Amino acid sequence: MAEVEETLKRIQTHKGVIGTIVVNAEGIPIRTTLDNSATVQYAGLLHQLTMKARSTVRDIDPQNDLTFLRIRSKKHEIMAAPDKEYMLIVIQNPSEQPQD
Amino acid sequence: MSIPTAKLKKPTLKVTPSSRAMNISTSGILRLNRSATYARSINASVSRKSFCLAADSKILEKSSVQTPKHTIQVLDENGKDVTPRPVYQPDPAAVQSKHSKIFASDTSGGTMSDFYSTTYQTTTNASFAGAFTRSLFGSGSVSIGSQSIMESMSEEIEDPSSKRDNSISLSDVQVKREEVKELIQEEMLDDMVDLYLVESDTLCLLDMPAISVSVDSMEAESVKERNSRYTELCKNRTGNDKYMGRSMQTFNGASKTKEVQSEAITMADAATIANNWDMYDSFCSAGQGEVDLSTDTDKASIAEMIHQNHGPTRTMERTMSVISSSTIVSSSSSRMEMEPFVVPSESKPDPELILQSEEFQQHLFVMERIILENIYQPKLAAYRQLPTLEDPDSMPKAVPMVVSRREESSLDEEGPPTPALERLWSFSCELTTGRNVSSMAWNKRNPDLLAVGYGQFAFKDQKPGLVCCWSLKNPSWPERIFTCQSGVTALDFSASSASMLAVGMHDGTIATYNVQSREKTPVIDSSDCVHKHTSPVWQVRWINHERALSGEDKGEALISVSADGRISKWFLRKGLDCIDLMKLKRTRNDRFKRQVGEKERKSEALISRQAPGLCFDFHPTDSNIYLAGTEEGHIHKCSCSYNEQFLETYQAHKGPLYRITWSPFCSDVFLSCSSDWTIQLWRQDLFTPVLGFMSTQRAVYDVMWSPKWATVFGAVNEGRMEIWDLGASILDPTIVNPASPGVKLTSLLFATETDCVLVGDSDGQVSVYQLKNFTAGEGTQVGTLEDIIGSTLASQL
Repeated sequence: MAEVEETLKRIQTHKGVIGTIVVNAEGIPIRTTLDNSATVQYAGLLHQLTMKARSTVRDIDPQNDLTFLRIRSKKHEIMAAPDKEYMLIVIQNPSEQPQD
Repeated sequence: MSIPTAKLKKPTLKVTPSSRAMNISTSGILRLNRSATYARSINASVSRKSFCLAADSKILEKSSVQTPKHTIQVLDENGKDVTPRPVYQPDPAAVQSKHSKIFASDTSGGTMSDFYSTTYQTTTNASFAGAFTRSLFGSGSVSIGSQSIMESMSEEIEDPSSKRDNSISLSDVQVKREEVKELIQEEMLDDMVDLYLVESDTLCLLDMPAISVSVDSMEAESVKERNSRYTELCKNRTGNDKYMGRSMQTFNGASKTKEVQSEAITMADAATIANNWDMYDSFCSAGQGEVDLSTDTDKASIAEMIHQNHGPTRTMERTMSVISSSTIVSSSSSRMEMEPFVVPSESKPDPELILQSEEFQQHLFVMERIILENIYQPKLAAYRQLPTLEDPDSMPKAVPMVVSRREESSLDEEGPPTPALERLWSFSCELTTGRNVSSMAWNKRNPDLLAVGYGQFAFKDQKPGLVCCWSLKNPSWPERIFTCQSGVTALDFSASSASMLAVGMHDGTIATYNVQSREKTPVIDSSDCVHKHTSPVWQVRWINHERALSGEDKGEALISVSADGRISKWFLRKGLDCIDLMKLKRTRNDRFKRQVGEKERKSEALISRQAPGLCFDFHPTDSNIYLAGTEEGHIHKCSCSYNEQFLETYQAHKGPLYRITWSPFCSDVFLSCSSDWTIQLWRQDLFTPVLGFMSTQRAVYDVMWSPKWATVFGAVNEGRMEIWDLGASILDPTIVNPASPGVKLTSLLFATETDCVLVGDSDGQVSVYQLKNFTAGEGTQVGTLEDIIGSTLASQL
């Protein structure tokens, strides 16, 4: 749908956004703005991390579930929205000066 | 031993075995016979030569039950009838059971056991009898029982073919036994019952034939002979030619090794950790999995659900490689009850489907907001008056900030900080650039939601209008975009149903939108209404009428004022319809006539007798009273109860009034601004303004009281935005913010919760400014305002 495409495009053009990745449940990228190796690496690593995070959340309360995961590092912030069919990952550098 | 003795004394025994073709209707004793023979055959399996129970039963046949055809009589040597009477007397009238072999075979086991149980009693007797027999054997006196035993011994006729019938009769036996019991239960217990004690049959349960033979027996001689012959044979064997020992050798087949190689059995380690949530999931899905196994949709949902609950466990081992599809859910539906952890095959969702799914859109939405929050965090925090988070990693930025702060602080040390406006951000996107912001309104329930209407004021260069609903969380793209056929000139959110947005347009149409839905079309439109406005609608407002007027339901009503001189109240009655609250008549000529005898102007050719209305405002507490401003510059105070006459008229402005607004704190005071460069402060009871404000020679487009301070209001004229604080100065605005060159500021809105001001301009931008270092003084603002007014009046007089 056009709205989805528009939103994806907008996200990619926001200030500081380095890359946007959408992978399916097996790790095959559906949409990505990074190169393939980086995509696969991000997808694989984040998948394990989100599984662990979800396990943690649900261990504490089984009725709860993980909705969003943000990792703030020195250089970037990695935001992952996991789902059972896909995962949406955005890498942003929040303190980047706007280019324009 | 007993057998040879039996052979010794073979009594003449005439036993007529009953024919196989039995009449079922005859007694069951016959059946008993059969069953007994069956028992006999069973005993035979234990030991070949055994006591024959059947013989007893054969003898039983000759009991007192009359069966003329098939009775068997046992006669001893003397011809005496020694047929023993049966212990068990079945009821001849008892129902005969079926001749079904299957039934018999089924129940044979049971009946056999029953039979044995009943025969147990007879066995004891038999053993006694047997003992008795043996003890008496030597004496030679034969009792009836022993005789019967001997007779039975002689009976070695076996009728193996009758076994089957025996089994049938066994069942009959059982049936009758039970029936007999029932009859007993039914009978009166008081009856005198005669009991006859009869010696029962002898039952043989085990017979081990003796290896040794008594010396006195008949066979002793032959046996001795045989034995001796055998010993001689053994003696002769060694040297005898007749016997030769010879060894043989068997051939060993040649062996051959054959190797077989099988495929390597691949082993895979599977491990799972039973987590808290794993157990919870399985518990939930097990309860649900059994319920809906029928329809396809349910299967899909089960698949999802199970996959979901199984996913977390399995993915630990699951690599990123493609998983081979497993059984289809439909086939494993029966398995599901047992194994809820079977991973069902999902048709791997199409990537396109993923992208279009609801959850994906939701995630995108949230993601975008989070990204923007990262970007705008300091600004948003300032808006909400939260402490801003310092990014510890952004070092280079911090340095110049610190420097500037130091400068500021040095300045601050000198005197009180000057109030200033800080621009936080602006709502704009490429859709809105170039459009004139005509009106803005906050949502009544969600203070983060802002509706902005875009439309040109002037008659020329009209283009289709736009309404955008912006959220504070996303300043770069509106949440909702509604396109209208003509320029939007007025907006208001309803208070009672907070998702209804009323829009007034340049062509006089009024439409209401539901901002909760994603539809682009208005909920209702006034273009079909007969009494719709024919000129631009300059203001719409949802007013809550507390007192019902003329029987109408109280509640919220939509009031609009338009340039065709009518103030209308809209309601839904089979479609949108309106009634006129007021028709704004031209009063200028009348007024002048009254005041001055002669007309000052020559009478103009009037296009219409109505004066275009530009703005109105209802009294904050009394919803019956409202003020209306016209293009002539008059302010009319009207009441909802009179729609012909004004209550009052205030005349001071020389140009069209763009905004009238009551003070939210002082209920008597209102402000008006017009294109004659002035802002006037009025009190309700005075017909001349109390205070007038003029700062530049530009038309003032918008004025609004601050919702927080009673003495503060903001005004927007073409070139700049001003914040006036009457407590500080009544001559000059306290804060002035000039507009960017080439852009005209057109509308102003205060934020309700925080001290921020929104300014819309003709370029489609809505900028958010924060009032910094702004305090309007302590004490009750209202009192200050009234003091000011009072002092002003006093000074005027």
